[in-house]
Amino acid sequence: MLAWFTPKRETWLFEVNPALKFMVFFALLLIALFNQNLSFAVWQAVLYSVLFYGFTGYSIKKLALLSIPLAISFLSSAGTMVLFGKGSNVLWQWGLIKISEESIQHALLLGSKSLSFGFVGFTFLLTVQPVLFFYAMMQQFGLPSKYAYSFIASFRLIPAVTEELQIRRNALKVRNIHFSRGIKGVYERLQMYTVPLFAQSIRRAQRIAVAMEAKQYQMGAARTYYYPTHFSRMDIVFTTVMAGGLVGTILLAF
Amino acid sequence: MKKLKFTDLLITIMIGVVFGILMKFWDDLYTVVKPILPVARQLIYGMWFMVGPFAFLLIRKPGTALIASVAGASLSAFAGHGLEVLMYGFAQGLAAELLFAAFRYKRYSIVVAGLAGVCSCLASFTLDLFYGYAALETWALVVKYGLRTISAFIFTGVFAVLIVRALEATGVTNLIRPVDKDEYSMLDR
Repeated sequence: MLAWFTPKRETWLFEVNPALKFMVFFALLLIALFNQNLSFAVWQAVLYSVLFYGFTGYSIKKLALLSIPLAISFLSSAGTMVLFGKGSNVLWQWGLIKISEESIQHALLLGSKSLSFGFVGFTFLLTVQPVLFFYAMMQQFGLPSKYAYSFIASFRLIPAVTEELQIRRNALKVRNIHFSRGIKGVYERLQMYTVPLFAQSIRRAQRIAVAMEAKQYQMGAARTYYYPTHFSRMDIVFTTVMAGGLVGTILLAF
Repeated sequence: MKKLKFTDLLITIMIGVVFGILMKFWDDLYTVVKPILPVARQLIYGMWFMVGPFAFLLIRKPGTALIASVAGASLSAFAGHGLEVLMYGFAQGLAAELLFAAFRYKRYSIVVAGLAGVCSCLASFTLDLFYGYAALETWALVVKYGLRTISAFIFTGVFAVLIVRALEATGVTNLIRPVDKDEYSMLDR
């Protein structure tokens, strides 16, 4: 699975400091979230699609595959909004379904936003190594090491947890467990899966924490890092390009 | 105020991450209930508010609701759900955290936990307003968010409290809960 996430070529986006990349993308997405102007939203989606298709360095086939969930999220969020969105200039109505000019506008706004989020999210994920991201957050942005190492340790345990979930599922199947219908069944299912899973994860997390402290890990102590991360010239290029892109979309939209 | 030790912090983040994994499977699980899709989807939506209150009920220290919520959201974000879940996770966790803080972190009942979930739901509704999910016809808006609020209460109140009780019965909570004064005084007897 992880082998799948190796790019065809490493583009300039790979050289940007991972934490800085996150901060810039996050700021851009905050702008996207609070923006209410349709053409600005559309141009932003276009800008981020250029980033996604042009500069992640993955093959067209993989990018096309990743586009499927993006298309689905566009259609599902925009679709509901077209059919049930509020509006007074009604174009077509059938029972509860009402399509109006406003609802189409809202749908396009919503759809463009979800595309922007999707493109930026995937661009970030495809061009970043999670562990280095946390190291850069510690070294360049002063994230306390206790958070970063807790995250890294927990992320490392994901395979163990998913395996446990799988074992639990099979165990319940072997024992021929049937769940009730309705809300009671939801609870039964939740309890059957979560209680052993959490009990085990809590024990494991506690053991890791104790082990780290036994090896003299101290919260808040000054420390050195196994993976040093830096700012480089590429970070200036990246920030300038993204700022330029944002200004460009504003000029195009207004 | 009881501060978070490193053990507590690691466990809190672990809980958030496990919840993130569960939420990923939760999506698959409920594609089965598709026929009554729109209503059913909103009724199981409370799962997405559960992580913060659940972590607080388990560890009972300030900060856990927010941290666990952000941890769960970052797992979802790394699993490909997009960076917007981080914003939602932060807002939802913060809302739950503030509600627990309003009770001085001393109430662990179904009602208080459920209210924390409702606060999370309100926070996500506020973000939805900006995002544009809430520009619906009035009836659809009331149905969607009404069901979601009810679901939030059931999941974060009833379900979370019951599951934490079941976990207490397994004995793991003894690893993390601070020891009461009463328990120390029992040693003196």
